Amino acid sequence: MSRPRTYRPGMRGWWQRHPAYRRYLLREGTSLFLGGYALWLVAGLLCLAAGEAAYGQWRALQGTPWLFGLHLAALMAACYHAVTWLRLLPLTVPVIRLGGRRPSDRALIRGSWGVSVALSAALWLYLGGGWP
Amino acid sequence: MRRSHEPLLWLLFGAGGLLAAWLGPALILFTGILVPIAAERGVTLLGYEAARGLLQGPAGLAAVAVVTLLLFHAAHRIHHTLHDLGLPAGRRTRLGCYGAAVAGGALAAAAVLAL
Amino acid sequence: MAGERTITLEVQRFHPEADEAPYLQPYTIPFSEGTSVLEGLQHIKDRLDGSLTFRWSCRMAVCGSCGCMIDGEPALACRAFLRDYAPGPVRVAPLDHLPIRRDLVVDQSDFLAKLERARTYLIPADERTPADGAYRQTPEEMADYYDYAQCINCLLCYAACPQYGWDQAFTGPAVLALVQRYDLDSRDAGKDARRAVVNADTGVWGCTLVGYCSEVCPKGVDPARAINQRKPASVADYLLGWLRPSGGEGTP
Ligand code: SF4
Ligand code: FES
Repeated sequence: MSRPRTYRPGMRGWWQRHPAYRRYLLREGTSLFLGGYALWLVAGLLCLAAGEAAYGQWRALQGTPWLFGLHLAALMAACYHAVTWLRLLPLTVPVIRLGGRRPSDRALIRGSWGVSVALSAALWLYLGGGWP
Repeated sequence: MRRSHEPLLWLLFGAGGLLAAWLGPALILFTGILVPIAAERGVTLLGYEAARGLLQGPAGLAAVAVVTLLLFHAAHRIHHTLHDLGLPAGRRTRLGCYGAAVAGGALAAAAVLAL
Repeated sequence: MAGERTITLEVQRFHPEADEAPYLQPYTIPFSEGTSVLEGLQHIKDRLDGSLTFRWSCRMAVCGSCGCMIDGEPALACRAFLRDYAPGPVRVAPLDHLPIRRDLVVDQSDFLAKLERARTYLIPADERTPADGAYRQTPEEMADYYDYAQCINCLLCYAACPQYGWDQAFTGPAVLALVQRYDLDSRDAGKDARRAVVNADTGVWGCTLVGYCSEVCPKGVDPARAINQRKPASVADYLLGWLRPSGGEGTP
């Protein structure tokens, strides 16, 4: 039997169709800043290995308005990433029971924020030279 | 039905994403914002000797792991977003994205080993 | 009745034998506090334009036939009320991402074929007869899959999924949620039979967790959770597949 002709609207400009799609693209877009920041860290590591002069140059560049602005943008991107990532985290947790109960989304989200605070504090202590 | 090789990439992407969520804001705030602000006021944070000291031993390996996973996270999302935006995403963009992550990780490892 | 409220519905029309592409046709109709969008469409069909085509059956959000895009959001026409769109106009279009057959009617055959291929029905471990008595299941065991069992196959989630819009090979939210519904059921032993569908590029790995599907689902199924909570198990299948040559592959 031949099928009647159908019409397919296509996907052109699909993100204009709903704010949920734009929020999704914003979330994915944070990766540009995170990736760029990671590359900048690689550059820093290479300069550090190359010697004091090179590292000094990397540090000097870090303080220029352009790179400072980019780091501010990366910071905002990282915060948006953290909020969205940890909010969606419970969706990726398999069906498991802890002590006979399935952990609630709230508990998982709060727990993961707790880990975030602890790890961030430890990182700052370490980088600031206060620990160990 | 073709079995997917996505699981491996997703694992790296997920690890990087989780690290970025847990550590990203604090790390960027420290290295990218606080260090230059302190330098402006004549305080040296993460100076040459200090930075080399901080990256000795297991901490150096951890730094390489963090940077590499962050790169994988970004590579994965960028590749998928290219596809989502209707741009040509195929073998070549995949190679470019994940290849850049591998290369960045390798450079980071080489740098830390050379310290 | 004097002072009766009216609203304009801009309905997307398409008759394949006459129209090159869809277009919008406005109809102005009376409505009251309790008039659903579906009743608005029925008013048009009964009194204004008998050629308007749309699906419906239960009028109470149970059958899943009346899904369409209402002001750009996937919704059940029988569950959406015109009062919420007043003063209008309100735009009614067929579900996004699906081929349009006629006016508001979309072609569901792709979804139905996937449903069949995924074997979304109970596959028991042993042959049982009524003489063996009823299955026993604890409330906790039932809670594991209960939400996913509420699906009414309305396809709103497919209209909310850009990945399905890009690639119709993607198994998609509702079918994968139903796979998870049976895989999580303590009475079921069909996980291996469904594994190939789940682990494929077109299975859970076609999902990038946009998450809009779960927002539009009228039954609280949360297909985004069903798909993504399955990813760790699919990773495990993949890694085990390196150890066992046929492990994790499942029977197609
Ligand atoms: S999962 Fe929800 S939105 Fe999707 S078909 Fe089932 S009931 Fe409809
Ligand atoms: S008519 Fe049955 S769900 Fe709307």
